[in-house]
Amino acid sequence: MQPTEIVAFVYQISDVFAFLVLAAAGLAIIFGMMGIINMAHGEFIAMGGYVTTYSYHAGAPLALAMLIGAVACGLFGVFLERTIVRRFYHRPIDSLVATWGISLIMTQGALLLLGSGAPGVGTPFGSVSFGGASFSVYRLVLVVVAVAVLVGLYLLFMKTRFGRHARATMQNAAMARALGVPVNKIYSITFGLGAALAGLAGGLYAPTMTLSPMMGTSFVIEAFVTVVAGGADILIGTPPAAVALAIIKATATAFYGQVYGVMSLLVAVCLVVRLMPDGFTGWLIRRRS
Amino acid sequence: MRAFLSLLNGPQTFGSSRGFWATAIAVFLVALLFPLVGDGYTVGNLAYFGVWVFMALGLSLIWGYGGMLSFGQTAFFGLAGYSYGVIAINLGANYGYPVLALFCALVIAAVLALVLGYFMIYGRITGVFVGIVTLSVTLTFATFLNQTAGPEWRIGRARLNGYNGMTRIPSLSIPWFDGDKITFRGPALYYLVLVLLVLCYLGLRIMVNSRFGNVLVAIRENPERAELLGYDIRRYQLVAFVVGSTLAGLSGVLYTAWGQFIVPAAMALPAAAMPIIWVAVGGRKDLTATLIGTLFVLWLFQTLIVISQQYALIVIGALLLVTILVMPGGYIVWVVENRDAIFNWRRHRAERLAESRAVASDGASE
Amino acid sequence: MTVLLETTNLSKHFGGLKAVDDLSLAVQEGELHCLIGPNGAGKSTFFRLILGRYPPTAGTVRFCGEDITQLHAAARIRRGISIKMQVPGVFAELPVRQNLVIALQYRFAEPELTREVDRLLALVDLTAETAKQAGQLAHGQKQWLEIAMAIGARPKLLLLDEPTAGMSPEETYKTGEMIVELNRNAMTVLVVEHDMAFVRQIARQVSVLHLGRLFAQGSIDQITDNEAVQEIYLGKGHHGH
Repeated sequence: MQPTEIVAFVYQISDVFAFLVLAAAGLAIIFGMMGIINMAHGEFIAMGGYVTTYSYHAGAPLALAMLIGAVACGLFGVFLERTIVRRFYHRPIDSLVATWGISLIMTQGALLLLGSGAPGVGTPFGSVSFGGASFSVYRLVLVVVAVAVLVGLYLLFMKTRFGRHARATMQNAAMARALGVPVNKIYSITFGLGAALAGLAGGLYAPTMTLSPMMGTSFVIEAFVTVVAGGADILIGTPPAAVALAIIKATATAFYGQVYGVMSLLVAVCLVVRLMPDGFTGWLIRRRS
Repeated sequence: MRAFLSLLNGPQTFGSSRGFWATAIAVFLVALLFPLVGDGYTVGNLAYFGVWVFMALGLSLIWGYGGMLSFGQTAFFGLAGYSYGVIAINLGANYGYPVLALFCALVIAAVLALVLGYFMIYGRITGVFVGIVTLSVTLTFATFLNQTAGPEWRIGRARLNGYNGMTRIPSLSIPWFDGDKITFRGPALYYLVLVLLVLCYLGLRIMVNSRFGNVLVAIRENPERAELLGYDIRRYQLVAFVVGSTLAGLSGVLYTAWGQFIVPAAMALPAAAMPIIWVAVGGRKDLTATLIGTLFVLWLFQTLIVISQQYALIVIGALLLVTILVMPGGYIVWVVENRDAIFNWRRHRAERLAESRAVASDGASE
Repeated sequence: MTVLLETTNLSKHFGGLKAVDDLSLAVQEGELHCLIGPNGAGKSTFFRLILGRYPPTAGTVRFCGEDITQLHAAARIRRGISIKMQVPGVFAELPVRQNLVIALQYRFAEPELTREVDRLLALVDLTAETAKQAGQLAHGQKQWLEIAMAIGARPKLLLLDEPTAGMSPEETYKTGEMIVELNRNAMTVLVVEHDMAFVRQIARQVSVLHLGRLFAQGSIDQITDNEAVQEIYLGKGHHGH
């Protein structure tokens, strides 16, 4: 392969890797902590995109607008957790249905109030050329952001008191509570954090896509697949899962196009679940011992 | 034969009394005679409602009896609908080809359900993961079909036509005497749907009350215990999944034949949410409750959509949320299970009052 | 006497932990065999290996002379093994009667099915509760229902994992009598137990497990007199391997 082709391929993989990590992070945290899948994940992403765009048009610099988007989603997430989600921790399948209902209300509400499209944000930073191909600088920035998110989550869960409490709760909530860990607060914060990460993803990718209440749908499949392949532990499982899936999707997309790229993920996840039932988390833990 | 009929009543279905069946037969007779008195629009509308019920019954089997929350019903709905469209367009509307198209579409749906179900169930995907995988399949399918707008996307003479969907699909028809044919539109389609509905409903009742059904609900309750009683639980779950998904396919074919078109939006959100809502409101663990609940939500949705689609969906979404919060088993199921307490609440209250008075006077006299 | 169940060099390692280590045990037909040992000795793991809940790291399991090591759980049950787990595993939302129907239906057709179900209900004193949801039974009743479910299909080998856990002394004694009666009627029983009084009440053969290995075998008197066995229970330090 030509050096330009190799570079282009690495770029593709990194690009997909970033997308998968950012799309899945929020979902993975909530799933890893509470064992529930937030079916409204896509709607939080869209919400992040909208708040970011509106803040930007209201004058905020882009980076700040994205932060505002994330925080807004986080707060809304905490609100939903306090009112609705926490009633479902002992019945995970019903939680699927409940968050599904929330997702429906959020999408249709947004369509009702905001219409089906809005003026977006242009992609910043332009592009850079290498050997005849041009690469978007912004998407390279997103790769850095994705890695930063993973590092940030690692530091959060490993080095802070919240992280200690959170890991204890993940292992054994009843025991943690008996030891004085404010478990309910941990759940609220975790859900809020998951929602905030979803909102961040929406804000980060808003400049690259059309704004619409349905925009979250393009993230949802990738997020689901990455979470399933990664397994219960976001720190151990998600990065390798994202790398593996990114390679698969990038290859499929390069040969057959965008849609087959997505379908390749579906095939991949079926195989992963068949061969590694606990995802990468289970496989890596077993290898370690 | 008698053995089969005796299974119409059993531990897994409500409504075993004579009163129930008398009412059911009465309703059936009314439905049978309705086209003679009703106007064309209502008849067509009722047929339209009936078309969706198969998908709801299928989900009741998979989720309510089998314990697997599948978001894939609309995927099989769409797959069968498109298959019917492709085959019917290519073979033409005569010589009963549309009926062949219907059967082939159902077979295709069943085969794909078998493949997907095999991967999931034998891959030991359980619980929330079934929901995720089936939803991903559904969304991928819808996304794929949305991209098929160009003229190169065709199977034979049938263009997939991307976002706008496949059109000019022949209705169901069967050849009749004298070179003529019966086309299933209007009242004819109404009767076809009614007959199929009755057959499926009765068939499902027999299925869930049989030994198969006994094991299926045991698997729902405690899969490990069922396995340790000697049942290969994966086989039972797979059968339930295939049958339930094929029923969704039947809805898809009938819908396509009713409207003579099929679009990818019929599979994507928010359409994919609807079967969950229909089944959750009435009560997924009973076929009759699902049937009634589905018709109610369909009627409600149609009434609200006059205001706007978004408004209707918000209300329905809220209904789903409220239902899963306070009445996760479904309203009709709750009423049936608690009918003694509900209808006799006055008597029970009096009894409790008398009891506590007796205890108090006992205590006072000691 | 024929050997009903035989494990040969059976091992199960979880990472570094040797839950079951090179265990060769034979259960003869007609035995009432108790498996005892301190906590963590590997008794439950051993049962799960017999049932096929997970594959062994090494070794084989033979039942009635047939190598069943590769068979999955449901097939082994069909061959004539039956189990009652430690935690009551009844179908909580289904009626008591339905629980038994499910346990028996692949073995019996009507009208024997109804007859057998009624007989079992009478055996465990649950005839009055037949329509009640199984989850609403008292703890001891749930255990008995599960025993009834376990013996209903007339297994050749009955595995009982701590059947008297959580029972009162009266219930424990009654359970013991029930098990002895079953064994007298030619059912081979393998019981894991902690309650030494119960073991004394019912056991004819006793095997002691320790750290996943077979530590000692014999009659109940031989075992209780065995000093090494006393030591592993009381933890006075064990002889090195």
